[in-house]
Amino acid sequence: MIRDIGYIKVIKSRLGTSIQDEGRFGLSELGVPTSGAMDDISFKFVNHLLKNKPTSAALEISSPGVKLRFESPTVICLAGALAEITLNGKSISLGIHPVSINDELEIGAFLKGSILYLGIKDGFQSGMILNSRSYFAGITTKSQVQKEDRLPYFTNQEIPNFTASHVKWNLNWAETSELEVYPGPEWELLSAETRHTLTTNMFTISIQKTRMGIMMEEPLENFISEMATAPVYPGTVQLTSGGKMFILMRDAQVTGGYPRILQLPENSISILSQKKFNEKIKFKLISI
Amino acid sequence: MKPTFKQITPSLFELNWDKEVNDELLQKQLHFKELLLKDFRTKIIDIRLGFKTLSFQTSKQMDAAILTNWLRFVTEEHHLLPLSDKIWHLPVCYEKEMAADLISLTRAKNMSPEELIFLHSTARYRIHFYGFLPGFMYLNGLPEILHTPRKKSPSFYVPKGSVAIGGSQTGIYPSDSPGGWHLIGNCPSILFDAKDKNSVFAAAGDSVEFYPISTKEFQNLERHQSKPNSK
Repeated sequence: MIRDIGYIKVIKSRLGTSIQDEGRFGLSELGVPTSGAMDDISFKFVNHLLKNKPTSAALEISSPGVKLRFESPTVICLAGALAEITLNGKSISLGIHPVSINDELEIGAFLKGSILYLGIKDGFQSGMILNSRSYFAGITTKSQVQKEDRLPYFTNQEIPNFTASHVKWNLNWAETSELEVYPGPEWELLSAETRHTLTTNMFTISIQKTRMGIMMEEPLENFISEMATAPVYPGTVQLTSGGKMFILMRDAQVTGGYPRILQLPENSISILSQKKFNEKIKFKLISI
Repeated sequence: MKPTFKQITPSLFELNWDKEVNDELLQKQLHFKELLLKDFRTKIIDIRLGFKTLSFQTSKQMDAAILTNWLRFVTEEHHLLPLSDKIWHLPVCYEKEMAADLISLTRAKNMSPEELIFLHSTARYRIHFYGFLPGFMYLNGLPEILHTPRKKSPSFYVPKGSVAIGGSQTGIYPSDSPGGWHLIGNCPSILFDAKDKNSVFAAAGDSVEFYPISTKEFQNLERHQSKPNSK
């Protein structure tokens, strides 16, 4: 098996484009965040369809206006947000696509959802640091994919035979506004009224949405006094001293000092990551 | 006193001690951490400390009853292992060009810069855990007179190496970051190196001391960056 390194030349990029894999585990003791794909469902899907290892790295794109040129042949898979995507100017759907030398892929407007994954045969081969290729400032050399970057992948110098079934991607699973949540460690410290508000009202995704976390628009009453710094995880909902809910996402720090009022399970994190600014969500309390 | 136990999700668990933060509590936490890693070695994929908490994630769902039982039968050691006696010596330049908030802090405390530097650099600090940023140490032991509420609005940019005071804590920013603590100096040592197998120089339970250096010494150390030394 010949495996040369091929590259994607980044012609245009936008903030919120990075290489992600499953993330870094067991390094929280050093203060290292988990990182990894925001929407684990779509990320897993691209690797599955490409028959990649689940640990293979993909490109995470969260803004339109990304343009890439493939310098060697390969097969790619797109999943996640429904977007206007063209290959050499021709509109293509999500799913598997063979690409050839100098093919150009352009990501346009996002029609539904907010994060798109570009998987590639055998995964991106950017530097593996602390057991993961996930970009993170201070750990990997880059924290964002930028114009002029060259992203490495394996190529056999010919378009591989690919006999994947034409599985149709849909984003229906991410359309629900209802997110299942577990009570967080400080849930019981909330007043009965606040608990009622949390489980009956709708909450709006604010403009502050990053890989670190999502600030919710509506304020909540917070009578809980400052607490000793404690562990937090992706999916932990913090209630800040200013009374705003901050839902931690994949790049969140490993400890925090705000009360942890709710905890989102994996599935809810994926759904939430596909929500856009101004979309509304509702929490549905579940028990173990 | 044994900790209370909570299952947060099918695979996330937390032990909590309703006690004052001190060496003894840290000894207990490290003791429980060791026991958990021994008894559930194949199940735990991540374990982390807070000041009063110890939480861990398992690779698969785990029945809470297993842990409730474990906790019932686990023996609370009367002679807990002593904490490490390793003391790390970190150089800090407290000169005003590297200490944006030192003057305002001394004014608020009604003390001279020399007094503040003396108090900060003669105390010994215990490393409880890492968090906030890769390689950021949560330290206990800031003299009470130096406790200061965090800034009302955090600074957008805190330079790498900044030594700062926030609330009842002091700490060093291992990388550039936003931050809400008061900056009183800068440490030129390598605090976190992702490319090194041992990314951090110290472990939870070790101690840290600061010693003042001049701007000139700072520049020298910055040119020949190294990891801190211990005694």
